[in-house]
Amino acid sequence: MSEPLIRLDRLTQSFDGVTAVDALSMDIEKGEIFGFLGHNGAGKTTTIQMLTTLARPASGTATVAGYDINKDPLEVRRRIGYVPENVRLYDTLTAAENLVFFARLSGVDAPARRVRQVLELLDCTYLADKRVGGFSKGMRQRVGLAQAILHDPAVLFLDEPTSGLDPMGIKMLRDLVMRLNTEFGMTIFMNTHLISEIAKTCTSIAVLSHGKLVFHDRIDAVTARYGDDAALEELYLSLTPVGRLAEVA
Amino acid sequence: MSDAALIPARLTPTPVRTIAAKDIRDALRDRFILIVTAFLGLAALVALVTGAIALRSDVATYEAAKATLLALGKSADAIKAPEFYPLRLLRGAIEQIEIIGAAIAILIGYRSAASERGRQTLALMLTRPMRRWQFVAGKALAGIGLLAGGLALVLGGLTLVLHFMSGIGLGADDLLRIAVVWGVAVAYTACFFLVSFILSLHMKQPSHALLVAFAVWLTLVLIAPQIGDTLDPDNQVAGGVFKQLNIAKPDQVEIMKGFATFETVRGGIEQASVTKHFERFTFAVLGIKATYAGMPLGPILTEMRGNLIWIFLTALGLIAIALALPLNPDRLAKA
Repeated sequence: MSEPLIRLDRLTQSFDGVTAVDALSMDIEKGEIFGFLGHNGAGKTTTIQMLTTLARPASGTATVAGYDINKDPLEVRRRIGYVPENVRLYDTLTAAENLVFFARLSGVDAPARRVRQVLELLDCTYLADKRVGGFSKGMRQRVGLAQAILHDPAVLFLDEPTSGLDPMGIKMLRDLVMRLNTEFGMTIFMNTHLISEIAKTCTSIAVLSHGKLVFHDRIDAVTARYGDDAALEELYLSLTPVGRLAEVA
Repeated sequence: MSDAALIPARLTPTPVRTIAAKDIRDALRDRFILIVTAFLGLAALVALVTGAIALRSDVATYEAAKATLLALGKSADAIKAPEFYPLRLLRGAIEQIEIIGAAIAILIGYRSAASERGRQTLALMLTRPMRRWQFVAGKALAGIGLLAGGLALVLGGLTLVLHFMSGIGLGADDLLRIAVVWGVAVAYTACFFLVSFILSLHMKQPSHALLVAFAVWLTLVLIAPQIGDTLDPDNQVAGGVFKQLNIAKPDQVEIMKGFATFETVRGGIEQASVTKHFERFTFAVLGIKATYAGMPLGPILTEMRGNLIWIFLTALGLIAIALALPLNPDRLAKA
């Protein structure tokens, strides 16, 4: 069996004595769309920050595309794309200028040509020469996604990608993510709150609660066991503090 | 052919250059830099014109006095013609750079860091295959580049005005002196840019960082040099205590021995201000301080090298601090 594309090995992070991520261990295989669920403050963004080398773990480690996040952060960065929640980019620059900037930083050989390709791929060439300052949330999210795939990364990290989007925007983003996964073989690691999106998009899911991994399985196994979206929601709520509170009430 | 193939290897954009170029373009599109540079230019121009008017008034007074003496059939040798060193007219402009230039540098430093915070662009940059010091170096290069450009516009504009206004024109030596002053002004304002940039990048709230940076500005630009001047025992009487009392130089030295500790503290306060070093250096190079008027540039640079070293060491020290301090991505993701 081949090595998993992402392997977390007792990954831990704490802030001011509070453990945000507690000895998290799990594997994510190549080609998966992985949905990372959890309540606010569960540690999902902190986990992404460590996997994208933005923050160093307090202890433990992880490998991304075969490279250790602590020992080879530059190699990890060459192989990942990252879309944070609420991408804003540089308002005074056009979408193309923003993208050329990030392409150059990613070491892309022909930035201008690659930007055109990616904008065509995401069906948003009409945004190229417009300044980002006037963009809607959905437009920004598209450009945000574009900047993350300019260098054709092996893994794409998305932090709450649908946050603040209208249903049309959510569908558009979902379709794009599916396309990147099926056509270009990108492995997707996605933090989200939306259980319905998880069911429609992901191939595996994990649930984090107070920094601890409380559930991790393939989506087909989950749906076989729990059935439809409503049952999936029940499962999620039973694993999180909000769900437990509801039970007590 | 790819874009990269068209660019010689030594010109291939590095992360530092890429970030600097983006920052400069971003800042110029924002028009903020253009507006503040225009403001500094206007303030410096007003100072220059005011100086010129004062000089013209001196010349008119002299001419009137001379005419009166000649009309009375007396020699005009008794009255001294006003000295005319055109670079002295830049005094007001230097003072504007000292105060307003430093304040603008603080605003540019704040903008440079605060613009990345809260809009998640820093996270996007730091997940690229580059080292974190390259981010800081790129931002610093852009900020200092903007200051260099702004000061070049201001001093270049003033030079042109001066050249055409003075009537006698400026020689190569004058232009060299202005170029030296420009270089030192860039280093001087860079110090304030870097203080503000470092604070805005590392403090919890960038707005608090801006307040602290202006407190530093207030201390270094306005308070410390004033303390140095107002506490100088010889400055307590107009024209100088010793001069008014006709005290000879050896006696002055003897008297001042009794104020040794006081003078050490006063000197220390004055020396701590990079503004004072900038003022001393530029006033000497431009001949604004009477002692240096008409003196060749070489000896002035030799005599003033201490001030020069202080300014450049301060700027380099701040660059080293900016590069050495570890970035906190979690904090930087918050506005």
